[in-house]
Amino acid sequence: MTPLLELDDLRASFPGPDGPVEVLRGVTMSVAAGEKVALVGESGSGKSVTARAVLRLDRDASLSGRVLLDGKDVLGLSERAMRDVRGARIGLVFQDPLASLNPVMTIGWQIMQPLLIRGVKKKEARRRGVELLGRLGVRDADRRFDDYPHQFSGGMRQRVVIAIAVIAEPALLIADEPTTALDVRVQAQVLTLLRELAAERSMSVLLITHDLGIVAGFADRVVVMRHGAPVEQGVVDDIYARPQHPYTRGLLASVPRIDDDPSRRLSTVDEAALEGEVR
Amino acid sequence: MKTAVADTVERGPAVPRRRRFAPAGRASIVDRVALAIAGLMVLIALVGPLLAPHDPYSVNLGQALHAPSADHWFGTDANGRDIFSRVLYGARVSLLATVIVIAVATLIGTIVGTLAALGGRVADEVLMRICDIGLSLPAIILALGLAAALGPGLRSAVIALCLTWWPGYARLVRTLVRDVRDAEYVEAARTLGVSTPRLVFRHVLPNSLDTLYVQTTLDVSAVMLVISGLSFVGVGAQVPSAEWGAMIAGAAGNLTNGWWAVVFPGLAIMLTAVSFNLVGDWLRVRNDPTLRGRRS
Repeated sequence: MTPLLELDDLRASFPGPDGPVEVLRGVTMSVAAGEKVALVGESGSGKSVTARAVLRLDRDASLSGRVLLDGKDVLGLSERAMRDVRGARIGLVFQDPLASLNPVMTIGWQIMQPLLIRGVKKKEARRRGVELLGRLGVRDADRRFDDYPHQFSGGMRQRVVIAIAVIAEPALLIADEPTTALDVRVQAQVLTLLRELAAERSMSVLLITHDLGIVAGFADRVVVMRHGAPVEQGVVDDIYARPQHPYTRGLLASVPRIDDDPSRRLSTVDEAALEGEVR
Repeated sequence: MKTAVADTVERGPAVPRRRRFAPAGRASIVDRVALAIAGLMVLIALVGPLLAPHDPYSVNLGQALHAPSADHWFGTDANGRDIFSRVLYGARVSLLATVIVIAVATLIGTIVGTLAALGGRVADEVLMRICDIGLSLPAIILALGLAAALGPGLRSAVIALCLTWWPGYARLVRTLVRDVRDAEYVEAARTLGVSTPRLVFRHVLPNSLDTLYVQTTLDVSAVMLVISGLSFVGVGAQVPSAEWGAMIAGAAGNLTNGWWAVVFPGLAIMLTAVSFNLVGDWLRVRNDPTLRGRRS
């Protein structure tokens, strides 16, 4: 069976003052249909660039390698053909739910937009939008449909953003740190919603996060990235129980635990020890 | 004893007066008055000549410089012409010329500014240098040149103003669009497969042009004054024509014995300018859902 999304030696570089800067150095990973994969790593490890490269969002990036969606390489597609991939095949949820909503349009207009630009009639689009918003736990969805983003709380906004990303029923949802801007209780609600949505629609999810705590309860598999390339990937339970790579071990050790000795210093990733091994 | 603090507490925080009148999302009393006056001015511009009691151009030296009366509501000027009729006729001339200048300048400015902001570095450089050229030409000099080439008249003044006014708008629109262009919600819309034209017209421009509305309505008064100024130096509306600026210029010499010939066209300019400014402000608030929410 071909995986839904397959990255094969994906490389990305951006123009810099001293020539191109290589940000992705050969990412090879895959997401199967219906599978939930977590992409973890520290800031600057290339998680977000990987997600953006899949949708070809960075115009100044030069990409090489292959990004296979259902076996077809999207790197060769025209900008026009990419528009049918974006939103309809792959949905993307950004980190900051307020910044990713247009402040002068009603949330209903924004939820319906992916349908309207694909020729769905307004009445039908509204019916589906209201239904989805209600499903995502927004009370009074029909009335709130005509409200503006600033009238929603942070958690509600993230539900709106998720509704926008999944209304056109993409096969894959990429969530780029969807819970980082939310408080812990709302984080759990949003993750539960994502899990339920994925199950109901047999939708794959690629969850990008630096929070190892939320990965264990959510993903089937995990890919650990560092310096623009995966260092380790596998089933979540295996990685947590038996991390093979020293960087993964360092990351896991640096998550504070509730049963830690309070007098113990927090553990950090030992960069010096890693340098010899990774470079 | 009342302290300043207690005073503030009693009256609550300072709320701008206009806001206090305003129920959520609706026009305040001031907004309505401004809308009414602006609407009245537009109406006069459309049907004013039908309402005029006298011929605005008929000279009657026997009635020169009569003070306002039942027959001549606004009095008569040094040539005995009825000022009320001339003000009514002048609305069409002044407003039409102003609206043409602002419409043309806004249209060109928006197109050029948007292209400069979104079209890449080369397009930006070329368009902005053209703007610099436009900005460096004073309207009056250009109008004098055009008057020499095309003959003096309102047409030369309007063309000169269109040519010198748009670069300001282009600059403004470029800055506004650049602020919004990289916003995350624009990118988020792109990740949904929204096409570039739709991104520009439905996401970028609606979020950038609020300030432009305000600028255009503020410019109604500015343009009107410049047109009057051009008329005054003789390259705008010509002598007998009923144009507010030209009327003031012509009557300024008789200010001491015929104040009405200056004051009434002046009032017309002032009322139009102030009401358009207020309408612009109201439009801005109406178009910004965040401000609208706060008004309640």
